[in-house]
Amino acid sequence: MSRKQQLLGLVGRLKLYLGLAALLAVGIAVSPVAADGTNVFLSPDNLADVLRQVSNNGILAVGMTMVILIAGIDLSVGTVMALGSTLTAMLLTLRGWSTAAYVTVPTCALVVGSATGAAVWRLSTKWRAARVVTALMAGLLAGGLAVAWLAPQTSTGFSVLAVLVAVPCVTLLLGTLSGLIIAKGRLQPFIVTLAMMIAALGSARLIAGKDHSVYQVYIGPDGATPAFQLLRARIGGILPVPGFVFLLCVAIASFALRNLRFGRYLYAIGGNEEAARLSGINVERIKTATYAISGLLAGLTGVLYCAQYRQGKPDAGTGMELDAIAAVVIGGTSLMGGRGSVVGTLVGVFIFGLLNNILQLRNVDYNVQLVFKGVIIIAAVLLQEGRLGEWFRHLFRGHRPAHR
Amino acid sequence: MGLGCGKKSPEARWRIAFSQCTTTEPWRVLFNARLRAEAAKHPEVKLIIADAQDKTANQVAQMENFIRQRVDAILISPKESAGLTDVVAQAYDAGIPVIVLDRGVNTDKYTCFIGADNMEIGRAAGEYAVELLGGKGRAKGNIVEIWGGMGSTPAQERHAGFQHVIDNEPGIKTVVGRQDGDWKQDRAYNIMETALKAHPKIDLVYAHNDPMAFGAYLAAQDAGRAQQIKFIGIDGIPEEGCKWVAEGILAGTFLYPTPGEEGLRVALKVLRGEKVPKRITLPTARITKANVAQFLPAAQ
Repeated sequence: MSRKQQLLGLVGRLKLYLGLAALLAVGIAVSPVAADGTNVFLSPDNLADVLRQVSNNGILAVGMTMVILIAGIDLSVGTVMALGSTLTAMLLTLRGWSTAAYVTVPTCALVVGSATGAAVWRLSTKWRAARVVTALMAGLLAGGLAVAWLAPQTSTGFSVLAVLVAVPCVTLLLGTLSGLIIAKGRLQPFIVTLAMMIAALGSARLIAGKDHSVYQVYIGPDGATPAFQLLRARIGGILPVPGFVFLLCVAIASFALRNLRFGRYLYAIGGNEEAARLSGINVERIKTATYAISGLLAGLTGVLYCAQYRQGKPDAGTGMELDAIAAVVIGGTSLMGGRGSVVGTLVGVFIFGLLNNILQLRNVDYNVQLVFKGVIIIAAVLLQEGRLGEWFRHLFRGHRPAHR
Repeated sequence: MGLGCGKKSPEARWRIAFSQCTTTEPWRVLFNARLRAEAAKHPEVKLIIADAQDKTANQVAQMENFIRQRVDAILISPKESAGLTDVVAQAYDAGIPVIVLDRGVNTDKYTCFIGADNMEIGRAAGEYAVELLGGKGRAKGNIVEIWGGMGSTPAQERHAGFQHVIDNEPGIKTVVGRQDGDWKQDRAYNIMETALKAHPKIDLVYAHNDPMAFGAYLAAQDAGRAQQIKFIGIDGIPEEGCKWVAEGILAGTFLYPTPGEEGLRVALKVLRGEKVPKRITLPTARITKANVAQFLPAAQ
C-alpha cells in the first residue's frame, strides 16, 4: 500500500469525526465567556450537561443501530420509553406492595436473567470473557432478586432495584413480541413497530389516567427515594449517571458487534438475509433478539427519564423514534442494513447534542435553531459519506464520483 | 353510546354534545371532569363527550355527526380556527345552538364564545413579576421566559401580555432568547439547565405553564440555585401548579379557568329560551401562597 493510499485510508476512517470536530471548534469559538474568563462551552459542567441531555436519545439510538443493521426499523422506541417512565413513576408512588408485585418482579428477573445468560452463553463459544460476563450478570440478577424480595419498601412503593428490573423486563417482553411477529410472521418491521408504538402510547395513558386525573405521574421534586435519586447523580461530581449508562451501552454494543457471533450475524442478515439463512444462521431468532434488545433499552431509558425529570409521562416519547433514527443515520449506518457502527451512532448523537447546546448558549431563536439543525444534518451526512471529498477530487482531476 | 334509538328518556330531555380537541393534556382532563361534574347536577341533561385526538379532521367529522343526530346543543373546544369555522357555521345554520369554548372561530355564526383571556393572564403574570423584582419603576433583575408551543396562540398571547408590562421596566432584562418548551416539563428542564450555565445571575423564570415552571425549578434545584430564583407559571390546576405553590416551589401561578361548566350552563339557558351574551370572558386569578388553600384539591 502506497503512502498516499494509507493517508486516504486514514482520512476515510476519520471522516466520521470531521463533522463532530468542526462542531466542537465552532462551539469553542462562539461560546460565551464567563466572568472569570473561562469558556462556558468547554467547561466540564457544560459538557457533562450535554452528555446527560443526549443520553436518552443515545441509549435508544444504540438499540436502533442494531435494528437498522438488520435492515429493520423500530418506530416504537419513543412510546415504549414513555411507557417505561410511566410504569416507573407508578411503581415508585404505589402505596404498599400487592402479592402480585411480590410474584411478578422476581419472576420477571428470573426469566430475563436466565434468558440473557443462556443467550450470551450460546452466542459466545469463542469468547471466554463473555462467559465471565454471563456469570456476572446472573449473579447481579440474583442479587437484585434477593434485594427486591427481602427489602421492599412497604410505605413508599417499589424499591429502586425492583423498578430497575421490572420496567425493562416489561419493555423487553414488548420488544420480543414485536420481534416475534416480524420474524415468524414475516411482516414489515415498519408496520409491526408502528402498531406497537400506538399500543404502547395507549397503555401508558391507561395506567397514567387510572388513578390520576392528570395524564402524568409526578414523583415529587426530590425524586422519590434517595436510592432512586442516584440515577440522576453525577459520578465523581462530573459524570452524570444517565451519560455513564449511555457510554456503557455503546461500549457493550460495540464489543458485541465487533467480537461476538451475534454481532457478526447482524451484519450478515442486514447484508443479505437469504444468504445468511442459507449459511446456517438462525435468522428468526437473531431478529427477535434484536427487537427485544431495543425494547429493553427503551425501558431502561424510561427509568432514567423518570429519575431525571421526576415524572412518568405517556406522551414524552412521541417523536423520539425519529431523533434516534436521525442519529443512527448521521452516524453513518445505512438504512438498507448491513453497514454501520455503534461508535458512529455515538458521533451522530453528539452532533445533535452539541449543536443544541451551542445554539442555546448563544440564545439563538428557536426557529432559527430548527433551520440550523436541518443544515447541519445534511452537512454532517455529506461529510461522513465522503461525497464532499469525492466531488472536489472530481472537480480537479475529472474522476467520476463513486456511487455506493 | 345509545344515541341510535333516538328516544329521550323522560328525565334526560336534552342531549348536549361536546367535541373536545384532545384529552391528553392535564388541563383538558380537568376541563372534561368539571364539565361532567356540572352535567351531573342537571338530571335533564344527557352529556356526550367526543375526543378528536388532536386532529382537526376528526373534530369536523364529530361535528357533522352531531348535526346529523340533531342533538339539542353543541359545545366545541376547537383545535384551531381555520379548519373548524365552516362546520361550526353549518351547525348554527342547522338551528343547533353552538357554544364555542376556549379557542375561537372566524365567523359570527355561533351562539356564544366562552374563554379566558391569555393576553390578560400574561399581563397579570408580568405585573406579579415586577412586584417580585422590586416594584413598579424600581424592578431589577434577569428573567428567563420559557415559551409554550411557539406556533400556538396561547403561547403568543401569554408572551405578548407579559412583555407589554416588562417593556416599561428598564431594570428588567430578558436574558434568554425565545426558547420553545412545547408545554413540557422535560424540555423546560433542559432549556433551564443550559441557561444556568450561560447566565450566572437569573432572578426569575416565567414559564407559559406550570409543568414547565416546575421543570425549570428542578433544573435550578439540581444546580443548587433554586433558592435564588423565583418561578412563575400559568394554569393553576389543583394537582399541579396549585400544589407546587403550596409547597413553595412556585412563587405563583395564574388561573386559566376551564370553560366547560359555564358552557353547559349557557347551553341550558339557550335551550330554556333565555338570552345569553355573545362573548363571556372568564376571569383569571393570581394564586400565591397566601390564597392557594382555596384552589387546592381538598377545597374543590
